[in-house]
Amino acid sequence: MVATTAEQPFTVAKIPVSSWSFAIRVWLATILALFVSFWLQLEAPTTSALTVAILAEPTRGQTLDKAAFRLLATVIGVTASIAITGVFSQARDLILAAFAVWLGICVFAAKLLDGYRAYAAVLSGYTVGLIAVQQIDHPQHVFESGMARGAAITVGILSIAVVNTLIFPSDRQPGMLAQLATIHRRVREYASAASHREPANSAAFLTLLREIVALRPAIASVALESSSGSVRSAAARSAAVALVAELQAARFKDDLEKEASGWAARELQRRDAEVRQDLAALRSARWPLRVWRAPLHRSYRTAAESGIRAAAWVAIASMFYIWAGWPAASFSLSFVALVTGLGATTPNPRGFTAIGLVGTPVAAVLAGILEFIVLNGADAFPLLAVGLAPFAIGAALLLSSRNFLWSGFGRFNLTLIMVLLAPSNPQTYNPQNFLVTTLLLVVAAALLLAAQTLIPPVSDEKRRMQLLADARGELLKHGHAKGEALEEAMFRDASRIEQFLAAGGAQDGRALAEMLSWFDQSTTLRLCDAKLMEFTDGPLASLADEARAAIVARDASTLRAVASRFRELAPQTDSMEADVAACLVLTSDIVDAGRGDDPSRKTA
Amino acid sequence: MSHTFPELVIGGVLLAPFVTYLAMALVVIIVLRPLLHVVGFAKMFSHAPIAELSLYVTVLGLLMLLF
Repeated sequence: MVATTAEQPFTVAKIPVSSWSFAIRVWLATILALFVSFWLQLEAPTTSALTVAILAEPTRGQTLDKAAFRLLATVIGVTASIAITGVFSQARDLILAAFAVWLGICVFAAKLLDGYRAYAAVLSGYTVGLIAVQQIDHPQHVFESGMARGAAITVGILSIAVVNTLIFPSDRQPGMLAQLATIHRRVREYASAASHREPANSAAFLTLLREIVALRPAIASVALESSSGSVRSAAARSAAVALVAELQAARFKDDLEKEASGWAARELQRRDAEVRQDLAALRSARWPLRVWRAPLHRSYRTAAESGIRAAAWVAIASMFYIWAGWPAASFSLSFVALVTGLGATTPNPRGFTAIGLVGTPVAAVLAGILEFIVLNGADAFPLLAVGLAPFAIGAALLLSSRNFLWSGFGRFNLTLIMVLLAPSNPQTYNPQNFLVTTLLLVVAAALLLAAQTLIPPVSDEKRRMQLLADARGELLKHGHAKGEALEEAMFRDASRIEQFLAAGGAQDGRALAEMLSWFDQSTTLRLCDAKLMEFTDGPLASLADEARAAIVARDASTLRAVASRFRELAPQTDSMEADVAACLVLTSDIVDAGRGDDPSRKTA
Repeated sequence: MSHTFPELVIGGVLLAPFVTYLAMALVVIIVLRPLLHVVGFAKMFSHAPIAELSLYVTVLGLLMLLF
């Protein structure tokens, strides 16, 4: 869900002007990339147009971010191609086996990352398919092919960067500020309404948590937008981390008895002030008071399983192509690897392949119309530019749609039309080539879908169980990464809940309640631990040690006893001792609730 | 006397000197970024991205002129 601003955007033909300008930018960048590639007589002009299609992101920061990762991943992929070809130069089957393993490793890495980092990981994987596997019969050309690809990608990146800078530049940062401010307002509303424990409030909590965590990749993109970008990005990241902390403080507020509610209210106020400071820092491009990282929960087991499956799919496809013995099978196999890789960055890989299977014939029809009806033998560049316009602009308009399916379909069309048209200088209008390419692409998508039916992707339920097991294991070990602040650990836990919800967790009420209970427990335990650290060298050190031992053992009755002793020793209600007492009481309540002593929390 | 350009050779492949200049200018801009933030470069212009692109082109031109 995306927060919307109150003002209505200006529309042309019921499509917002921002979408039109985005689509026109994509078209202009494509033409520029093709023109420069033809002028420089690059070997792979199609790749530069494809780069523009892939980097077509609505804002400048996102484009630059993705571009940087695309370049980096190409360097890694070309290096891996050279290494694989060099090691297995005399054994073609081993090249394919090594390619499957490499793609598996890259999918594993992608599953541990998010946003464009995940994209870069899979791109490093399928670049080997595009270079080493396509040149499997001519290993001596791998290096040249890699250089040609690198040059074309650089031209594509420069084209879209220049067009994005000169024409209607749109930045992510103002939208980011508005989104964070809206979420902040809603968190405050949630805090004031949280006194009623209703299922609707729990849903509001989860929605807010999800929205905050979902901003993480976009926050990283802000860094490249301007010279102040990295400062703004740090401020936005700190604001997001502080928002999670404020949201959790609001959630705790009504869990407390009267004596401790003062502490909870103060905690909420403190968090609120932190968010406001961070938002002010973002607005005026200043460094925030504390720079927090926003760590992501990494589920290594699920990632490894996904990696192994991806390797198996590519291996199955390779065996089929070896058995079939088709002349241009390497092209088809690299498309299998491409769809496998890109599918790994979506929540539903098989659904992505299905979109590919449906989208490929549609794109083929459109590319066919463009090549054999619109252009039909034309060899002048202006004609290509004009002919491309409706196809590139139309696909980019679809891409900017808010509907996930339409936007995916638009991206598919934009890239596949370029692949099938394969603009070159001079253009060869060869219907037989076109049909064979289309057929190979459709076969690749169908084959991958068959492989994914044979070995299904990691199921949502399995992912949810793994996330629950991760949460439980982390809490029982009672540890967090070295040098990680309380708030950062909280954000990591929040990202775990977001992954849980993305795996269809909202439908699984019991598991969701358990997940939230682990989240509450780990947060309060860390909070108390941090507060008890302040007593380490004081006269109450032994009591603090006792409390810490009870926290490790998750012993609610001892926690309550220690809390009452702290409360007796407290000079006044807002002293440090009283705060610790309140925190310990809250912890004992939540530990009890987590064990199922309090049935009311099970419905939360 | 005409200006000679240094050539970059990677694995036996000759790269155009212009590519080296492009990369060098990018490095200079990345190094300059914290300084630009301190002087408030982005706030001086209505279209900061265009100003930054111009700065990049200026640095690129200077590099080619001086080295």
